[in-house]
Amino acid sequence: MSASTYANVLELAAGLVIVCAVVTLWRRSLSAIVKTLAVQGIALGVVALTLGLHQHDDVLITVGCLVICSKGALIPTLLGRVLASEPKSRETSPLVNVPASLVGAGALIFLAYGATAPVVDLVGTTPGRLIPLGFATLLVGFFAMVVRRKAASQIVGLLLVDNGIALVAFLATAGVPLLVELGATLDVLLVIVVLRALAGQLWSRFGVLDLDQLRELHD
Amino acid sequence: MSTLAHVISAVVAGVVQVGVVCVGGPLLLGLMRKVRSRLEGRTGAPVHQPLLDLRKLFAKQRVSPEQSSWIFPAGPVVLVATAVAVAAISPLATTHPPLGQSSDFFAIVFVLLLGSVFIALGALDTGAPFGGMGSSRAMTIGALAEPALLVAILAMSIPAHTSNLPALVRLGLVHPAVLVSPTRILALGSFLVVILAESGRLPVDNPNTHLELTMIHEAMVLEYAGPDLGLTILGESMRLMLLLGLLVNLLIPWGVANRPGALLFGVGIVVLAAKVAVAGAAIAVFEVFTAKLRLFRLPELLAGGFILAVLGVVTAVVSR
Amino acid sequence: MWAVMVLAVPAAAGGVAATVAWKRWVGWLCTGAVGVVLVCGVVLAAQVVNKRPILALGGSLRVDALSAFMVIVIGTVGVLATWQGVRYIDNEIASKRSSARHGTLYAVLVQGFITAMLLAVLAGNVGVMWVAVEATTVITTFLVGHRQTRGALEASWKYVIICSVGIAMAFLGTVLVYLAAQHAGAGTHATLDWTSLMSVSHRLNPGDMRLAFALIVLGYGTKVGLAPMHSWLPDAHSQSPAPVSALMSGVLLTVAFYALLRFKAIADGALGTAFPRALLVAVGLLTLLVATSLLLSQHDYKRMLAYSSMEHMGLIALGAAAGTPLAVAAVLLHIMGHGLAKGVLFLTSGEILHVEGTSDIAQVKALLVRRPALGGVFAFGLVALLGLPPFSLFISELNMLRAEVQVGLGWVALITLGCLVVVLAAMMTYARRMLFGARDDAEPVHRTPAVVTAPLIGALCACGALGVLAWPLDGLLRAAAMVVVR
Repeated sequence: MSASTYANVLELAAGLVIVCAVVTLWRRSLSAIVKTLAVQGIALGVVALTLGLHQHDDVLITVGCLVICSKGALIPTLLGRVLASEPKSRETSPLVNVPASLVGAGALIFLAYGATAPVVDLVGTTPGRLIPLGFATLLVGFFAMVVRRKAASQIVGLLLVDNGIALVAFLATAGVPLLVELGATLDVLLVIVVLRALAGQLWSRFGVLDLDQLRELHD
Repeated sequence: MSTLAHVISAVVAGVVQVGVVCVGGPLLLGLMRKVRSRLEGRTGAPVHQPLLDLRKLFAKQRVSPEQSSWIFPAGPVVLVATAVAVAAISPLATTHPPLGQSSDFFAIVFVLLLGSVFIALGALDTGAPFGGMGSSRAMTIGALAEPALLVAILAMSIPAHTSNLPALVRLGLVHPAVLVSPTRILALGSFLVVILAESGRLPVDNPNTHLELTMIHEAMVLEYAGPDLGLTILGESMRLMLLLGLLVNLLIPWGVANRPGALLFGVGIVVLAAKVAVAGAAIAVFEVFTAKLRLFRLPELLAGGFILAVLGVVTAVVSR
Repeated sequence: MWAVMVLAVPAAAGGVAATVAWKRWVGWLCTGAVGVVLVCGVVLAAQVVNKRPILALGGSLRVDALSAFMVIVIGTVGVLATWQGVRYIDNEIASKRSSARHGTLYAVLVQGFITAMLLAVLAGNVGVMWVAVEATTVITTFLVGHRQTRGALEASWKYVIICSVGIAMAFLGTVLVYLAAQHAGAGTHATLDWTSLMSVSHRLNPGDMRLAFALIVLGYGTKVGLAPMHSWLPDAHSQSPAPVSALMSGVLLTVAFYALLRFKAIADGALGTAFPRALLVAVGLLTLLVATSLLLSQHDYKRMLAYSSMEHMGLIALGAAAGTPLAVAAVLLHIMGHGLAKGVLFLTSGEILHVEGTSDIAQVKALLVRRPALGGVFAFGLVALLGLPPFSLFISELNMLRAEVQVGLGWVALITLGCLVVVLAAMMTYARRMLFGARDDAEPVHRTPAVVTAPLIGALCACGALGVLAWPLDGLLRAAAMVVVR
């Protein structure tokens, strides 16, 4: 792979990750949001694959394939099941309306750029320059978790945070050691399974999946 | 070639570009209507129908509302004048248009904005309720769309180190890698949203509507008749052609003449017509499958366009 | 060998519990397994005090004085909690709230939970430590929601969402530490091994480490219950079954704090002590103030205990901020003392909830005369928790405050003292309402079975003995403090 193609593919895939993050804030239909997440997972896998092919790193290539399978297919399927338990799956009343949250996301993206400056300086390679995009994805996910009121939206926010971190990890260090990487992926999968089970229990017992109605415990 | 020859060839190119846009704008409108009709199972009017309409309108007597001032007739004239000026200096068929140095992207946007402002003023001038409603809506949309457009231009000009429009197109010809950079793609995505909003296409505004209450652009030109209406239609169609032409040239610059020469320029004209026709047809197809957004949802669409542009800037800064 | 046993025994007990239907002996087997862990912890401590760390399983397990100390804490509180767990499941089954299947699930999850915590403190690799801490989140979610009430499910939802985000931040921080290690000369052979990180810590890039440590404090701080990511803590601790609350409050919080201590040592090497100290002082004070103000208006005694846990986590964060050997030894002693006192109190409150049927402070009256044994344990537990002599929390709080004054954080010590006084007053008021009062003549004096009170009284005695003698832990504490202070 030539140097310019490599940089181009990397930029495109990393760009797609952050665009997908923003699209999840933009859309209201939860099923569309889950599809966006699948695209994001695949883009993330492509980043890992590209890095792996460029550096002839078999481990990274394997991880890339794993990411595509888990984040591009498995997790969206699981999330789709959560949505199936909830008939009207639209994010109708987020705490912050959509235009304002998009502008907020814009501000967060610049914040991410500022915050990661020392890391970018330290890495100093082509992938290193793209680190702010991963950090921005993380912040957008954080933001989505705060302003969205549906159970499924919060899971989506959590996944955005996770994908952002994975992107930073790939770009900054070409992946942490495989054992940790596998542990992290497995943990995310488990958390999703746990959340799915919880959402199912909440729905079947109390008919609630709107977190505004979870107000029993407070001070 | 001497300097004089350069000047002459540039002037000729400018004049030809203006002519092409003047004729091509209405034809583009006709083509989009034709595509739409076909997809809806109707035969539809011939493609050159808008030109025939214009001929008929220009032959009519001028009528103005009693209470209106000079602003009212000036609106359509300024609209067409700004479109002509932009058509002359834009890199549509060649990257060496007359006054190419002045063909700054920001300047072009503001010249076009001048036309929109005058149409809105003309609609307000009559004091008719629909005109005022349309103006206020159009200005709201404009106020949301302009920032997105400006940020999108900023994003494109960061890697090129210039906001000169011919230079941006030339950069794409010389370094095709720029075309697939996320910056260019995101900025053009934002640009497309702005084009749909500014030229009153679905899902922002329905150009074929007959319901005054849902109108945006049509409400503004409701009071115009005869030659004034003709100028308005001509001006609007030229703007659509211009914006689409710039979009496709920034997206796929091949075919645009990068050196002076009649043959290359001729090829440039033909390729431009083809590209714009395809883009127009694509928009028409998109419109068939799209419903108009509620007015209150429009800020979401335009904020989406804005954030795409912001992302474009960030990726540009990041990958520098 | 002992290190492997620490992990293998509770895991095996969990395996046994998974394969046979719930019987009381399964519960006692689990308690025994945790007892073995405690014994192994003591043996390990004896082996590593003032000696080289023990490596096991090819270096993936690493035991130094700090790890051995944490194993002892987990073992101690674990024995208490699993002991009461048997009674909890008996009560649940007797009252038809859950079936034997729930008993099995509970036993397996508790053993898994304890194993994960042990792995976190024994892992030689900070990445594996992260995986283990995250695993505790996944496992405890089911334990928090074990009672399946609306409140319990709500609490577990908040718990898993907030803690997952927090722990994700900690992962990002770990990645950035790894990045710094790669650029500190280790190249592609960089590892997340604690030993190698410590050996290059003075060469780690400061800009990168500053971001990394901030993320780690935020991330692991979530699991510690430090503000501003603390909101899950009162809900989860008040809704869980009492033995689980005891484990979560008594050890899980401090296991997460252990991770923070390890990273603080690395950050101290890379950045000097000023930045880590400022950060810990900020979160510690914020936590202390939030907990104190919320303690003033509580209606639920389990929530009251949960906020008190937050208060104590704020205290140890401030102690760690001081960072002298004295301060860290005091922090570790406080971890032990808090584990014992809070474990006793949560287990007692579980028993009170069982016999009184309410967790409302206003509806529990005259415990000391109606149920003398239970009320007595609760009263002494509170005395221990509030840091009154002779209990060990008094000594550790005193020494943390002294260390803070020594390093020029006198104003912090002053604010801390103020908060402690307010907390003392508030909790005494609640305790007075619950403990004192007159008994109805019609109502007999209830006896609490010795099987319930014996371990609790034992734990309180241990806490008192530690406060008076400091023996046998003093050598271990000093050695453990030197692991993370240079």
